[in-house]
Amino acid sequence: MDVARDVRQSAGLARQGPLLGAAEIAALLIFAASFAIPLLTRSVLVYSVLNQILVGVVAALSVWIMLRMNLLSFATPTFMAIGGYTVAIAGQYDITDGFLLTAASFALPALVAVPLGALVLRLRGTYFVLVTFVLSQIMQLLLFETPGLTGGSNGIAGIPPVTLLGMELASNRAVLLFACFLALLATLITALLTRFFRQHFAAIEENEILAQSLGLVVWRYKALGFVVAAGIAGLAGFSLVNMLLTAHPSSFDSITAVDFIAYTIVGGRVSILGPIVGSTVLVWATNLFGTHGQYAQGLYGVLILVVVLAARGGIVGTVVTLLRRIRRAA
Amino acid sequence: MKSRCLVFAAAAFALGGGAAYAQGGCELKLGAMGPMSGGAAQWGLGMEAAATLAAAEVNAQGGLQVGDKKCHVTIISYDSKYTADGAAAGSNGLASQDIKFIIGPVGSPENTGIKPVAARNGQLAWNASYAKNALEAKYPLMFHIAPGPSAWADTLIKTAKQTFPMKSVALIAPNDQGGTDIVSVDAAAYRDNGVTTTEEYYQRGTTNFAPIITRVLALHPDVVDTASSPPGDAGVIIKQLRLAGFGGPIGRLGGPGTDEILRVAGGLDVVKNFYWFETVPTEDPKVRAIDDLYRKLVGKEPVGGTSFWADLPAARLTLKAISMAGTIDDVQKVAEVLRKLPVEDPNMGKGIWSGQKAFSINQELFFPFGVGIIKDGKNLGVKKVEPVM
Amino acid sequence: MQEFLQAAIIGVSLGAQYALLALGFTLIFGILGVVNFAHGGFYMLGGYVAYACVSGLGLPYPLAVLVAVLATAALGYLFELFMLERLVDDHLATLMLTLGLYLVISTGVLTVFGPLSMQFEFPVTGAVHAGPIYVPLENLIVLAVCSTAIVALYLVLFRTDLGRALRALADDRAVAMAQGLRPRLLFPLAFALATGLAGLTGALVTPILALSPGVGDPVLATSFLTVILGGLGSLGGAALAAFIVGIVEAYSSVYFGGSIGALVLFVLVLLLLVFRPTGLLGREIRGA
Repeated sequence: MDVARDVRQSAGLARQGPLLGAAEIAALLIFAASFAIPLLTRSVLVYSVLNQILVGVVAALSVWIMLRMNLLSFATPTFMAIGGYTVAIAGQYDITDGFLLTAASFALPALVAVPLGALVLRLRGTYFVLVTFVLSQIMQLLLFETPGLTGGSNGIAGIPPVTLLGMELASNRAVLLFACFLALLATLITALLTRFFRQHFAAIEENEILAQSLGLVVWRYKALGFVVAAGIAGLAGFSLVNMLLTAHPSSFDSITAVDFIAYTIVGGRVSILGPIVGSTVLVWATNLFGTHGQYAQGLYGVLILVVVLAARGGIVGTVVTLLRRIRRAA
Repeated sequence: MKSRCLVFAAAAFALGGGAAYAQGGCELKLGAMGPMSGGAAQWGLGMEAAATLAAAEVNAQGGLQVGDKKCHVTIISYDSKYTADGAAAGSNGLASQDIKFIIGPVGSPENTGIKPVAARNGQLAWNASYAKNALEAKYPLMFHIAPGPSAWADTLIKTAKQTFPMKSVALIAPNDQGGTDIVSVDAAAYRDNGVTTTEEYYQRGTTNFAPIITRVLALHPDVVDTASSPPGDAGVIIKQLRLAGFGGPIGRLGGPGTDEILRVAGGLDVVKNFYWFETVPTEDPKVRAIDDLYRKLVGKEPVGGTSFWADLPAARLTLKAISMAGTIDDVQKVAEVLRKLPVEDPNMGKGIWSGQKAFSINQELFFPFGVGIIKDGKNLGVKKVEPVM
Repeated sequence: MQEFLQAAIIGVSLGAQYALLALGFTLIFGILGVVNFAHGGFYMLGGYVAYACVSGLGLPYPLAVLVAVLATAALGYLFELFMLERLVDDHLATLMLTLGLYLVISTGVLTVFGPLSMQFEFPVTGAVHAGPIYVPLENLIVLAVCSTAIVALYLVLFRTDLGRALRALADDRAVAMAQGLRPRLLFPLAFALATGLAGLTGALVTPILALSPGVGDPVLATSFLTVILGGLGSLGGAALAAFIVGIVEAYSSVYFGGSIGALVLFVLVLLLLVFRPTGLLGREIRGA
C-alpha cells in the first residue's frame, strides 16, 4: 500500500478546493511570523540557525516541486549556484538593488533550466535522479574552469550588502529579514504553482502515461515545474550567498543536494509543510551535532535512519495520519 | 511554534555546554574547528587535539590565571566539514555558546567562510590554511598558524637543488582552492630559481592517478612535486610514479604528512628520492615529546600527523594572552596582548611574527620549520631552518 | 604513441574495478529498486576489514579478502532484512536509509581507525615492462579476480535457481510473487550479494591505492556514471559501461588533464542520454 498517496488524499490535496489550501496558508503564515523573530531576539544562535533554515527551506521547496511530478532532482545546487553567482557577479559591478537581484536570481536559473529541461525531462525515475546528479558535478567543474567569471576555486568574496530602497542591508538582522522575505516569496510561488496546477501535477505523479493518454500535455507542465523549481533554487542560492557574503564552490557541492532531499523527505512530501518542517528539524540537528566534532555525521545519519523508520511519510505525513486516526476514534 | 523550537534549541545548547563543568569558578571555553569527518578529518582532529592539550596543561595547574581567578578551560569542537558554510555556521554556533576564541579552522574554503562571520561575532580565530588571503588587514582578529609557501618555498627549492639538480618540475595538486593557491606560489618560486614548471590539477576525489601520471611523464620533467595534495593522494601518486618507471626526485612543497605518505607509498625504498617541507622540525626530540605529553595529560593516543604539533603553539599562546590580558571577555584586549607576545613555545622553540609581506598584516606565527630529504632510499633527516622574514 | 597504449592499459584496469562496483549497484537497483547510497561505504568497509585481518589478526591477504567479502555481505544482509525490507517499495525512504547508513559507516570507520591513511600493501608489487609501456602486476591480478567475479555472478544469475528467482523478481515482482517466490527471503540475499561485491572491490583496490576514511565518497559518483551509461538494472550494460568509463577517463585525463578530463566524461554521459535515454543496454525502467 502506498502510504504517501493515502496520506496525500487524507490531507485533501488531491481534491478540488480553494486556490490556497490550509497547508499553504499555514506555510505562508509561518514565514510571515518568522519576520518577527529577528525583531524579538538578538541571539546569535537563533539568527544563525534561522538563517540556515530559511536557506534550506527555499532549496527544499525546489526539490518538493519536482517531487510533485514524481521526479527526484539532484540539480538544486546547480541552480543555486547560478542564482548565487549571479548575485555575486552583479555585486562586483555595484548592482545591489534587492528587488533587481531577487528577480535576476530567479530568472537566470529559470532561463538556463529551459534548454536543460528539454534535455533531462525526457528521463524519468532513477535516470532523472542520476542525470541531475551528473549535472551538479558538471556545475562544480565549470566553476573551477571559469576563474575569470566566477573566481574559480577561490570563489567571490566580499560581496557588497544588498540595498533596498537605498538602505543597506548589512546587519545580521537585516540579512535575516531579507532571508525571511526570500523564503516567503519562494513559498508563495511554490504554493501558487502547485495549487493552481495541482490536478495536473497529481495526474503526472500518479501515472504519467495514463495522464498523457487522457490528453494532458505532460511535457508542458513538467517543463513549467522544472523551470520554476530552478528559479526557486536560484533564490536559495541568493539567500545563501547573502548569508555568507561569499560565493564559494564548496557551497554548491553536488553532495549538498542530498541534504535538501533529506529535508524534504524527512519532513514529508505530502504537503508543502514537509520541506519546512524537515529543514527546521535537520538544520537544527546539524547545528546541534556540529559541536560533537567527529561524531556529527554519524549522529545525523542515525537521526535520518530513525525518522525514516519511525515516521513513514515523513514527519508531516505521520502527524496527518495520527490526527486522522484520532479524529476517526473521536 | 518555530520560535519556541529555537528557544528550546538554545536551551539545549546551553545545557550541553554547561553541565560538564559547573564547579562554581570561572570557566573559559575555547572553540576548536576544522573538518572532523570526511577525507580531511585529520586536519580538524589535529586542531582539536592541539586545543585539548593546551587546555589540559593549564587545567593540570589548577586552571588558567585570569586576573585574580583561576579559570577551568574546556574545548568545544565543531566539525566545519571543509566548507565555507560549515565554518560560518560553526562560528555562529560557537558564538551562541559565548565562545570568543577559536583554534581553527583549517582549509581554504573554511577560511573564506569564517572571516566575515567571525568578525561580525567579534571572535578571535586562528586559521591554518595556505590560502592567498589567509589574513586580511580588514579582519584584525584573524591570526594565522603558520606561513604559506611564499615564506618557505624559496628556501626549500635552494636546499633541494643542492642535493637534486633540476631544470624542470611538474606540480600536481587538486583543482580546488587548497591546490591552486599553493601551486601557483610554489611554481613562481621554482621559476625564480631557474626551474621551468608545468602545473597539473586533478579533481578532488580522484583515487587512481595513473592517467595523470602518464600525462605528466610525457613531458619528461626532472622532478615531480606533489605540492598540497592530501597525504593519502600524494602517497598514491608517488607509488604510481615509481611504478611507471619515474626515477627522478619527488618534491612536496605543501602540507605536512610525510609519515603518512611513506606509509601509503610503501616505504623508503619506493619513495627513494624525496624532499619536503615540514611545518615543524619533526626530528627535534622536544617536538616529538608533544605526543607523550598528550598521552600523559589527556590520556588518549594522539590523532597522529604533524599538523597537531604545528597547531599547538597557537592554542598555548591564546591562553597565555588571555591570562596576561586578565580577561576572558574582552577580545580586542586579548588580541592586542597576543600581537605583542614573543613567539615562543616550550616545544617548538623561538619564532617570529610574520605576514606583513604576504598579507600586509603581521599576525602569523613563523616557527622554525623543517626541510626533509630522502636520498637513494636513505632518510637524511629533517633539517631545522630558522625563520627569516 | 606510448601514451596512447599506456592510456589503454590504464583504462582497462580502471574499467575492471568500476565494473565490480557498478555490477553490485545495478543489481540492487534492478532487483530491489533501491538506489544504494551506501555503496561507497561497503567498498570502504571491505578495505578496512581486510586491513584489520591482515595487520590485526595476521591472516594471509587472500583469506582477509574473503573475510571482507563475507563481512560486508553479512552487514548488507542484516541491513536489508531489518531496515530496508520494511520500506522497500518506498524509493525515497530507501534512498534516505542507505544515506543514513553511509554516514554511520563513515563515522564508525573514522572513530575506530582514525583519520590517517593505513599502511596496507598489496602482497604482489612490481610491473611487467615492455619497452616504455608497463603493466602493474597488481592490476593484472585485480583484473583476473574481477573477470572471475563477473563470470561467477553471471553463472549465479543465469544458471542457478536463485539467479532465476532474482531475475524474475527484477522483471516483474507481482508475477514472480504470484509464482510463489518470496522476496522476504530473496531480497536480503540479493542485497548481500551486491554489498559483498563492493566489499571485494574495496579489499582488492584499497591496498593498491590508499585506505582512509574518505575513500568511499568517489565510489558513488563513479557507480552512478557507470550505471547511467550502461542502462539501469542491466548487468551486461554495467560491465560494458564500466570499461567505457575507465577508458574514457584514462584517455581524457592523459590528453586533457585531470580536471577537464572529468568534465569530458560527464558531458559525454549527458550527451549519450540525450540520444539514448535508457543507456547503452538499458530497457524502459519502472518509475522510481
